[in-house]
Amino acid sequence: MPAVRAENLYKVFGRRAAAAVEALSDGRHRDEIADLGVTAAVIDTSFEVEPGEIFVVMGLSGSGKSTLIRMLNGLLPPTSGTVEIDGTDITGLKKAELRKVRSEKVSMVFQHFALFPHRPVVENAAYALEVRGVPREERRAKALEALELVGLKDWEDKLPGQLSGGMQQRVGLARALAADTDIILMDEAFSALDPLIRRDMQTQLLELQASLGKTIVFITHDLNEAMRLGDRICVLRDGRVAQIGTAQEILDHPANDYVATFTEDVDRTRVLTASSVMVPAAHSAAPTDTPRAVLRAMREQGSDFCFVLDSDEHLLGAVSADDAEAAQKDGASDIAEAVKPVDETTAPSTVVADLFAAAARSERPLAVVDADARMLGVIPRAALLDGLAMEGSSS
Amino acid sequence: MNPMTVPVPRLPVGDSFDASIEWLRNRLEGFFDVLGAIIGACVEGLTSLLAHTSATQFTLLACAVIAVGLLRRGHLRPVGTAVAVWAGLYIAELAGGAATAAVGSMPAALFSSAMSLYQAEYVYPPLVLALLLLTALVVLSFTYGRGTRQELLAALTCVALFAITLAHFTLGVQLSLVVLPLFVLLAYMVVGWRVALFTVLGFLLIISMDKWENAMSSLALILVATGVAIVVSLPLGILAAYSDRFSTVVRPVLDFMQTLPAFVYLLPAVAFFSIGAVPGVIATVVFAMPPGVRLTELGIRQVDKELVEAGEAFGAPDWAILRRIQLPLALSTIMAGVNQIIMLSLSMVVIAGMVGAGGLGNDVYRGIAQGNVPVGFEGGIAVVVLAIYLDRLTAAITRFSPAGRAAAAAR
Repeated sequence: MPAVRAENLYKVFGRRAAAAVEALSDGRHRDEIADLGVTAAVIDTSFEVEPGEIFVVMGLSGSGKSTLIRMLNGLLPPTSGTVEIDGTDITGLKKAELRKVRSEKVSMVFQHFALFPHRPVVENAAYALEVRGVPREERRAKALEALELVGLKDWEDKLPGQLSGGMQQRVGLARALAADTDIILMDEAFSALDPLIRRDMQTQLLELQASLGKTIVFITHDLNEAMRLGDRICVLRDGRVAQIGTAQEILDHPANDYVATFTEDVDRTRVLTASSVMVPAAHSAAPTDTPRAVLRAMREQGSDFCFVLDSDEHLLGAVSADDAEAAQKDGASDIAEAVKPVDETTAPSTVVADLFAAAARSERPLAVVDADARMLGVIPRAALLDGLAMEGSSS
Repeated sequence: MNPMTVPVPRLPVGDSFDASIEWLRNRLEGFFDVLGAIIGACVEGLTSLLAHTSATQFTLLACAVIAVGLLRRGHLRPVGTAVAVWAGLYIAELAGGAATAAVGSMPAALFSSAMSLYQAEYVYPPLVLALLLLTALVVLSFTYGRGTRQELLAALTCVALFAITLAHFTLGVQLSLVVLPLFVLLAYMVVGWRVALFTVLGFLLIISMDKWENAMSSLALILVATGVAIVVSLPLGILAAYSDRFSTVVRPVLDFMQTLPAFVYLLPAVAFFSIGAVPGVIATVVFAMPPGVRLTELGIRQVDKELVEAGEAFGAPDWAILRRIQLPLALSTIMAGVNQIIMLSLSMVVIAGMVGAGGLGNDVYRGIAQGNVPVGFEGGIAVVVLAIYLDRLTAAITRFSPAGRAAAAAR
């Protein structure tokens, strides 16, 4: 069951909203119905967000993304369509029921932080619990826990005005975390921050997400941010969904010219990962192979070394041509003694930008191994350059 | 040739206003009587507190100071218990003279030294109750506030109480000179030494012009009018902030109240409440209330929308958003409204004097009526001194509001 599901969602402001929805559902552009005197913010939007996923909604200002996120927790009622949270349709709920959903299932982080300036940091962080009626001591303890998670230990008694922008948004994040809801909506949460701090916050969010596994709907107008954070990205244009897909899918197969022009500005090296540029290893050896066989294979491939894997594809190390020859001279029956550990490997999720340094240090291809040390593939220098070249060809 | 006249029908505006007043008075006479009685009692009580302070009132004032200190340290329960016991005993005394009986049954030696110190002829039971409450609060201060400034506060308050009562009731120093330091202290604590200095000079001027009693009775009238105006304007302001429709309806009504010459509704007020302080208070409330409503509305509307949205997003009910987010953040603006209410009330003092409200207004009115410039001018100067004192005090209180503290922290 998806954590959040939006189906044929419309939000039209104005008196003749119903007529507008009808016209829009026939496929008319929102500028064509201007004579109705309405503003169509969100048009026929459907998507599902899976539990534990970071789902990024990306769009320029006026694309309806803020309106969309406010319909997901019922701050704005949709003109038509449904929103389901954990399988419950929230569009028909009474006010009190809706409040319950918000306080127990969905919390929110705001663009301009929306901290209460008259309350100390800890009371800001504890706000959701206070609304829920949690006793004072307990909510303080939980708020302090959340503040520690975001790295704001020992700041709990300050007022928000005494904190820098980045720290204020950490409090905003702590407030959402302390609420301990499964779903967190983040409305341009990092847009008001300096670029450097924004990067820090993105890193921190990814780290937190790795351990907490929340369902996050993240709104942004910055495609780089979207690509960095999003497991999947939904690109909005003029209130309609232009494309939904992973960063890679959007880069490689933009649904239309609009999405394509967006992706031009994206720094591919920060989006493409090792797993997307790696190639299968041309050959590999087992520790039980004879030096003669290994040397022959190397000659055929024209290389002077060879990765050594066990029967389960675990990377044991590499053997060089010189060492194999020495082993052959010593009359060794296999190459097990000649295997040297590999200095540098990389994880499949590492972005390409972080691979250049390693590739520059060694002439050998870089081995890509998963968490169990199983080798998934290799990245020769040429593959890295290919990855960059694709950028040139797509623009 | 005569200029052409177009016949315009004469609308009976004044008569229908009079008729509707009459109609209201007949239907709601009981309500207005009760309202008048309550306001009258408040003004009278406050006047006697300010202008003829009794030993009991001084003691209770000391109790209030210590209790506030304890409450600020979060000792709600013990203070509440002590005050509740005192209130119970006091009601018992009012109802059946229970305290009088209890005091009567005690040995006279207990009271004789105090009686001779204050040259009192009999033991006044409410004073005994007040002293008991004071003792309880002092004991609480020394048990709960051990090692804090609460102890110092309690001790100093008791010393001040002793000094004041001794000076006034034994040595016979006039009340105005005894009370003056309290006003100065308040100004010093809330605002600063400059205003405290002004208070010393200004109030000494009032005393030297022999206007103290009138000034205090005007102050009582202003405080009651301000209280009523706040009680009425705060809910109206909140409603106006929440509903655009209510706001558009109430705005012209407020303009009407503020611009209609005060004399015009002074007459109906007298018709409702007869001569005295009550119509003065009512007229003052009508005139002074509009800025309270306006600034309350403004203050609430001006609270950052994202903050209200944050409250909603975490599932807070409307009243919690109002009480915990909007009102605290609007408080400095609301206090500016209260300040305006007080200032406008002061300007109504003279007009209230015309309907027999007493106080400084009476002096000024007498000065006008008799062509007596000195009397009128002195009354006017006293009004100015009061006005500046109250203005500086209420303006400074904003500093203590949550939003004020937040702004100070952000600097």
